[in-house]
Amino acid sequence: MTKRKLVVVGNGMAGARAVEDVLARGGDALFDIVMFGDEPYGNYNRILLSGILNGSKTADDILINTPAWYAETGVKLHSGDRVVEIDRAAKTVRSAAGTVEPYDVLLIATGSKAFVPPFKGAMDADGRMKPGLFAYRTLDDCHGIAAFARTARKAVTIGGGLLGLEAARALGGLGCESHVVHLAGHLLELQLDATGGGMLRRTMEGFGLHVHTGKATTEILGEDRVSGLAFKDGTTIDCDMVVVAAGVRPNSEIGLRAGLTVERAIVVNDHMQSIDDRSVYAVGECAQHRGKVYGLVAPLWDQAKVFADHVTGHDAQAAYQGSKLATKLKVMGVELASMGITEPKDEHDEVIQFAEPKRGTYKKLIVRDGRLVGGILMGEISKAAYLMQAFDRDAPLPEERLALLFDLGAAPQAVSPEEMPAEARVCNCNGVSKGAIGAAVACGHRDAAAVMAATRAGMGCGSCRGQVEALTAYFADQAPPLAVAPEVPDEPSRLDGHVQARILEDGTFSLVPDTADGHCTPAQLLRIAEVAVKYNVPGVRLMAHDRIDLVGVPKDDLARIWDELYLAAAE
Amino acid sequence: MNHHPGAPAPSQAAALNDPAPVPVDTHCPYCALQCGMTLVPDAEGRFSVAARDFPTNKGGLCRKGWTAAALLVSPERLTTPLIRDTKGGPLRAAGWDEALDLVAARFRDIRARHGADAVGVFGGGGLTNEKAYLLGKFARVALGTANIDYNGRYCMSSAAAAGSRAFGIDRGLPFPMADIAETDAILVAGSNPAETMPPLMQYFDAQRARGGRLIVVDPRRSATAQRATLHLQTTPGTDGALAAGLLHVAIRDGLTDPDFIAARTSGFEAVRRIAAQHWPDRVERITGVPERQIVEAAHILGEAATAMVLTGRGPEQQSQGVDNVSAFINLALALGKAGRPLCGWGTLTGQGNGQGGREHGQKADQLPGYRKIADPRHRAEVAAVWGVDPASLPGPGLSATELLDATAPGGAVKALMVLASNVVVSSPAAARVAENLRGLELLVVSDLFLSETAALADVVLPTAQWAEEDGTMTNLEGRVLRRARAQAPPPGVRTDAEVLQALARRLGCAADFSADAETGFAELRRASRGGLADYAGISYARIAAEDGVFWPCPDDDHPGTPRLFLDGFATPDGRARFAAVQPRPAAEVPDDDFPYWLTTGRVMGQYQSGTQTRRVPELAAAEPSAFVEIHPQTARGLGLAEGDMARLTTRRGSIAVRTRLTPAIRLDTLFVPFHWGDGQSANALTHAALDPISRMPEFKVCAVRIVRDAPPP
Repeated sequence: MTKRKLVVVGNGMAGARAVEDVLARGGDALFDIVMFGDEPYGNYNRILLSGILNGSKTADDILINTPAWYAETGVKLHSGDRVVEIDRAAKTVRSAAGTVEPYDVLLIATGSKAFVPPFKGAMDADGRMKPGLFAYRTLDDCHGIAAFARTARKAVTIGGGLLGLEAARALGGLGCESHVVHLAGHLLELQLDATGGGMLRRTMEGFGLHVHTGKATTEILGEDRVSGLAFKDGTTIDCDMVVVAAGVRPNSEIGLRAGLTVERAIVVNDHMQSIDDRSVYAVGECAQHRGKVYGLVAPLWDQAKVFADHVTGHDAQAAYQGSKLATKLKVMGVELASMGITEPKDEHDEVIQFAEPKRGTYKKLIVRDGRLVGGILMGEISKAAYLMQAFDRDAPLPEERLALLFDLGAAPQAVSPEEMPAEARVCNCNGVSKGAIGAAVACGHRDAAAVMAATRAGMGCGSCRGQVEALTAYFADQAPPLAVAPEVPDEPSRLDGHVQARILEDGTFSLVPDTADGHCTPAQLLRIAEVAVKYNVPGVRLMAHDRIDLVGVPKDDLARIWDELYLAAAE
Repeated sequence: MNHHPGAPAPSQAAALNDPAPVPVDTHCPYCALQCGMTLVPDAEGRFSVAARDFPTNKGGLCRKGWTAAALLVSPERLTTPLIRDTKGGPLRAAGWDEALDLVAARFRDIRARHGADAVGVFGGGGLTNEKAYLLGKFARVALGTANIDYNGRYCMSSAAAAGSRAFGIDRGLPFPMADIAETDAILVAGSNPAETMPPLMQYFDAQRARGGRLIVVDPRRSATAQRATLHLQTTPGTDGALAAGLLHVAIRDGLTDPDFIAARTSGFEAVRRIAAQHWPDRVERITGVPERQIVEAAHILGEAATAMVLTGRGPEQQSQGVDNVSAFINLALALGKAGRPLCGWGTLTGQGNGQGGREHGQKADQLPGYRKIADPRHRAEVAAVWGVDPASLPGPGLSATELLDATAPGGAVKALMVLASNVVVSSPAAARVAENLRGLELLVVSDLFLSETAALADVVLPTAQWAEEDGTMTNLEGRVLRRARAQAPPPGVRTDAEVLQALARRLGCAADFSADAETGFAELRRASRGGLADYAGISYARIAAEDGVFWPCPDDDHPGTPRLFLDGFATPDGRARFAAVQPRPAAEVPDDDFPYWLTTGRVMGQYQSGTQTRRVPELAAAEPSAFVEIHPQTARGLGLAEGDMARLTTRRGSIAVRTRLTPAIRLDTLFVPFHWGDGQSANALTHAALDPISRMPEFKVCAVRIVRDAPPP
């Protein structure tokens, strides 16, 4: 079979993942694969860019697909060369460098670009961003910001969303006085409600970040480099550098020019195919599925998988159903998790809320029909792992709503021998209770070794030996010397030819009179019954092998019953 | 120790044939620890178990070990062959000649009509090395069938494949278990030795007492997890993602050992790339393990001077079992924690002779000495020992699950011989297995008791057990041990070796089938010589003198090999191999119809399918029936209280069991132990999705629904 050609436009987290998924499904036997990447690197993990900014990582640390990977897998990569034109009639793409590649199947995974609003004074005379003004999107952006911040004193980040706060935090860490200006009334308005946003703001301010909400930036001030910002309300702020993190816009122009339907992004069906052309797919931030454009990694990778299943025929029915949105982030040590909606939308929506502003803890869950549809966790987020899974899977929630917010139930505490209930299990390996140890002591085993031999407590993994010793000492201290002595019933133990005694797990005894091979006289049988009635023996068991077992005999009655049964058996 | 009251006297014949019984040093009949014990006779000749200070268990035994002697006097013991004259008819007692003649004649007939591969053989990880070896030889030489496999496929096959892939050799532990006490950090993934092999815990306890740290990965806060420094309570089926996440943190935070990676491994780059895709946030969402715990675990392992990574059935019994284990091996390798003293990856295998059982030829693709049946050189070596033409040996056959699938109507297998295995209880989607076996032309089962599988057979052969015959076992450390005969089998019972010898003769096979264990072992030694699992230098005398011998032991002067890989790995270039494994979701995940995860496992008082332990009165009393563990919060929402009957249903089947409420399990997960049959069989529920490499079924993960079985009173 001749291979077809798969051309992938975009080498970011969606495009490269899609190719990996295609290869994992045996796609190298089906396709020759060619990729174009705008940035001059292999594919890197954009999630970890803040590490570049704060200097904790190098570019190598966040690379996912190194150049060697492309070589090994036989994927041809044109890096640092963007595709400028798609000719759907000829089925070719053309790059800025003039490379023309024909395709059988095309995947557009061009992602998105930082959105820099048309502020006055943003660009210099040559149409480039003014020195000191940065977008926050790519590896190069990060390198530029980090280098500039070393000499800057005061930095302003425009945008109080996930990326903006991340950038502001990093700038603070680089030694700048760090400010955030945000258009909306509270920080992280997509992830938090007003209460949560307010608490986050106070917490961040406590860490030295300066937050300005409800501020619409109008102008970047400064002649040949940034010197400040002006706002719609007439106020200004002076600064040495500005980082714009005001959202992203899909890179979908290329689709538009190729004649594909583009609304907010390239419109695709459930197979991630363009609705206009079955040989063209789109995944990631440049794709619009059922009216939604996704910007988080998990949905991108879900889409990549559907694409790979579909294009390789691995699963021709593969369909993307949309993704649920949840995020976690950590800003200046404040941990935050957010999922789904932030406010109830339906009068039946149940809201469970807890706030402890002094500690910066805020928890809010929105439950609909017993399923989680929204949640905010801030400060103390130990339940985030569980809740995000329940949200992802639409899993039924436990009735106890409090348990959704907190880990209930204290850790088990060490109890003294005295406090321990008699039925408490001491030796798990051999099923020995506190009561059984007490009984062994009462029967004359006065040191731990003897108790262990008699009950097998501590004779498995041995981890309870300390406890067995403590309990033996405890019982030995309080046990009076034995007056009447059935001699030491081992466990299980055969005392003589006539009666067998055995310690049960609950510390009571089992007594088995000898009814040899099922033979006994009517008088003996009657006598056994009389003894059982007389001493209120709780249970009589007719056992296999023609024996009768009196079970649940308390320690105090043991000797007396013993004697009477012995007589009965001897009759 | 004395006998359980109610045990019958030993048979008269045994007393007559044997000299007066004496104490016998041997090993436990159950799990892969093979704890040393002494069988001590009383005045009447009845044995009881006494502690024995053997270097593995040091006198410790769990309740299964202590009560093991009850098996020798069980009133339920089969003592005569049974034959079913018509399908659906009753089993009747028969003589040995009649039974063996019948089996041989039917085998010949089926072979004539459908070809040699139509007769399948299903063995067990409880068979001694000698019997496992003999069974493999019987299948290949006397029956000429390719189709032999064993229940070890359900147990350690994923670990075996991953271990071989990484290190070039498959031995449960590359070090003696006592080393566990000496290492600084341990990660145990999906194993619960505190419940399943209690005497092993003394080493973990000693390790922690020394200041060592223990990390346990388990969806349940198991008895082992309760003793851990850190418990990672994973979502079932997410082990591979967790391991990749741990590696991500290790790389991110500079905890890896670049010198080790460069000098002693290959293939790291591709693994690094996959780890790069598993940052902690993402792994938290997949696994349900909080990010800070993932980070802490990576640091505990990475910062320790020495560390071990141990896996169990949790990650192994999945449709990505091999990859899960590889992911944990990758972690150990990247941290430089392998091939050095007190370091390494190991698997805590389950069955008594799971290790030896897979080395000597009862696996579909293997010949004795861990040789490959598809390798012409290996075939020639073994054929020479057997005195047959290499070309006469069949090729690789069907794996366990596929072998049982092939017993379906219209399938390739028309007759099946089962030894030491209760497949009707232990196989996934068990109801279908039972149905298929009922429809076979001939089902022959050898067992001590009328197990659920034996009850379906056309011919049942009563076999000798444990203390009634000689043989060797290889425990999870690779230590070859001797199980000595303490008494004769009851009259009417024969050993499997005697049966195979008699059947081979009736099938007209010219090759030797010795029924004597030591003679068989001598042949096994020759057949394993030069193989990976080389037993050539091991003898019964050495085992007795040295408290067992570790393989490989190529000649009489060789000391054996307690610790593997210190000088290099068993790969062609001596380097350990990373495996670029990309974690996948489980084959079946919860949805609206089946909203919970189901996972399965063991309880202390029972062993495997329970054929033996359910017949020990003290064990039966301690754990009389199956149950479902459920979180109290989950139970409350479903209107279930402690001890209620609950009905569990999956796409394969449905069972009713009592609830056991415990906050130690995840809110979204249910647990059912698998030791019971009939209406309580956990494996009526489990999923037969297979690992593509090991063919291990997905016992540990599927989607389940739970409701109250009866209306509230």
